[in-house]
Amino acid sequence: MAGGLALGGAAAFQSRPARGQQSNLPPNVVPSAYAVPKSKFHASLTPDYHTYASDLVIERNQPGKPHQGKVLAAIQAHSDDITLFCAGTVAKLVDEGYTGYLIRVSNDEKSGTSVGHGVVQNEIDNREAAKALGCKAFSFYYRNHRMDDCAVIEIRQRLIFLFRLLQVNTVIVMDPYDHYDENPDHIMVGKAVETACWMAGTGGGREYPEQLKAGLKPAQINEKYYHCRSPQGHNLINRVVDISSYIDQKVRANVANKAKGPAGDSGARLRRELAKRGRKLPLLGDDDDTANFQYTKTFLMEDFHALGQQYGLEYAEAFRYIGRERDHQPAVRQYVEEHSAPL
Amino acid sequence: MKRRGIFKIASAGVRPALAEGEQVVVMKAEPGQPHRGKVFAAVHAHLDDIPCHGSGLSAKLMSEGYTGYIVRTSNDEKYGGRSTAENILSNEQEHIRMGAAVGFKDVFDFYYQNHEMSGISYLDLRGRLILIFRLLKVDTVISFNPWGHGEEDPDHWVTGRAVEEACWMAGMPNDFHEHLLAGFQPHTVTERYYLCARPGQPYNRVVDIGPHIEKKIDAIVECKSRGNGNRGSIVRAELARQGKKLPLLGNDDRTADRAYARQFLLDGDRECGRQHGLEFAEKFYYIDQRRPAALKADEYIRNNAVSL
Repeated sequence: MAGGLALGGAAAFQSRPARGQQSNLPPNVVPSAYAVPKSKFHASLTPDYHTYASDLVIERNQPGKPHQGKVLAAIQAHSDDITLFCAGTVAKLVDEGYTGYLIRVSNDEKSGTSVGHGVVQNEIDNREAAKALGCKAFSFYYRNHRMDDCAVIEIRQRLIFLFRLLQVNTVIVMDPYDHYDENPDHIMVGKAVETACWMAGTGGGREYPEQLKAGLKPAQINEKYYHCRSPQGHNLINRVVDISSYIDQKVRANVANKAKGPAGDSGARLRRELAKRGRKLPLLGDDDDTANFQYTKTFLMEDFHALGQQYGLEYAEAFRYIGRERDHQPAVRQYVEEHSAPL
Repeated sequence: MKRRGIFKIASAGVRPALAEGEQVVVMKAEPGQPHRGKVFAAVHAHLDDIPCHGSGLSAKLMSEGYTGYIVRTSNDEKYGGRSTAENILSNEQEHIRMGAAVGFKDVFDFYYQNHEMSGISYLDLRGRLILIFRLLKVDTVISFNPWGHGEEDPDHWVTGRAVEEACWMAGMPNDFHEHLLAGFQPHTVTERYYLCARPGQPYNRVVDIGPHIEKKIDAIVECKSRGNGNRGSIVRAELARQGKKLPLLGNDDRTADRAYARQFLLDGDRECGRQHGLEFAEKFYYIDQRRPAALKADEYIRNNAVSL
């Protein structure tokens, strides 16, 4: 189904070569997935393939604070998931009025000089990344890379609690249908979030009624942004968000990730290595902060630049967006009004 | 800890499982409201568990000042004699009525699938209990003994185990710390009464429920889908069809149910009471984890700290 939907809207991309190679696809075969262009630095922060929906929308900056009063939950398994793949969109939505929460589900114990160090440093990183994006931070601390051993229903329970407590309207999370994802934490979190979203709002109080007795209210989560994982991903996308105005914020969020991800202190480390050899890279400036910022922006954000260029944007992030379900009742009422006749 | 109304006696004629040197304690009525301000939660798996094994204690604690809540973890779908769906409904409605009859302030139902609870995520169950313990500031629980032998029903031991774990974890700020964001503070449950739900399970407390036996009967007769609460009226109707009557059962269903329960469903309590010189009694394995007012270490520091 996804491939069929893709045909009309993706004609412009059919001839794009994958990673600089010409396609050997026979001329009479229409591709059902399209290689995502990569930057020359090959940071691999966008997925290998996209499948495009025919009604793809480019979400641009909105003036004022159109989302004032709404609550956004950006949920990630690891401290670098949101920052790498969709921090620009989080920054944009917060800037447009959302109250944002950055919720981390694992304890990130697998990255750090020891398990204990990894847990502590990633906790700090999550907090600092949230700060860079204008969000508040929260962590659950399930064991990293072992979440397929967790009870998804318990994670869902806790997410429902948080969604109700914070009165979340919109979530950003890794696409639970991201094909070829190697990391079990991603899949577990995506599925737990997807199921928690609608159960948090079910009327009648039959999902975890004790939470409602505790004073929490059902949450109406009407918008979901599913982001891609890379490089293994193969995602259906129907929304491209212009993050050009927020790229520096995205860079700063990634620089905040010291224990995990390709950014962090990479610029400063490179600067020190060069200095030992009696060299410098003017790009990296004269201090560590500048080095980290420039390294991240120049070498790691280029994939998002390449993605944006397809749509005439400086930088972009891609999503499978799921909006509010249409209420069919008004149309039914209108039909009844127009067609009902006297007995 | 010896308090008013509590008497230690040597067990006579029965052999409760006790630690060396431990004695069975008989809990009699305490005058006044010594437990005013305290909260207990009776957590059972099925409609008739607490009514059969702990409603006398529940009524006693509430009469002495406790506020009581009842939590049912299963949906009781296997009992009621009707369709699975209808059984869930009838047990749900009877649970609400039973809770009101005993005097519980509120009734919680989790509806895990009856007889299937060994297959659920009991982390999920534990998390829900922790929220309730924190929300209600529960001091005391009445539930199954997770270590009691002879327990055939998986719903019982899963519930008991989750309760036991939730009791202390509810007091840990890093367990389900999102509750703290919502304003629910850590709260340890310090007293536990484990039911004697199967023959041979250990007990160290015998509770005099004589003054509360009518409340216990109130509870039992609401358990119609399971627990034989309506057995009296069924027998009365069967006899009527044969052109007979049993004077014991009186002239209406309510009287018949209560009389049947009193005559035939309280034998265990009657026998337990007889062994301890009481009319009716329930047995429990009691665990007290209340902290002493002052730790020995605190006392030592207070008495021995000197100026620098």
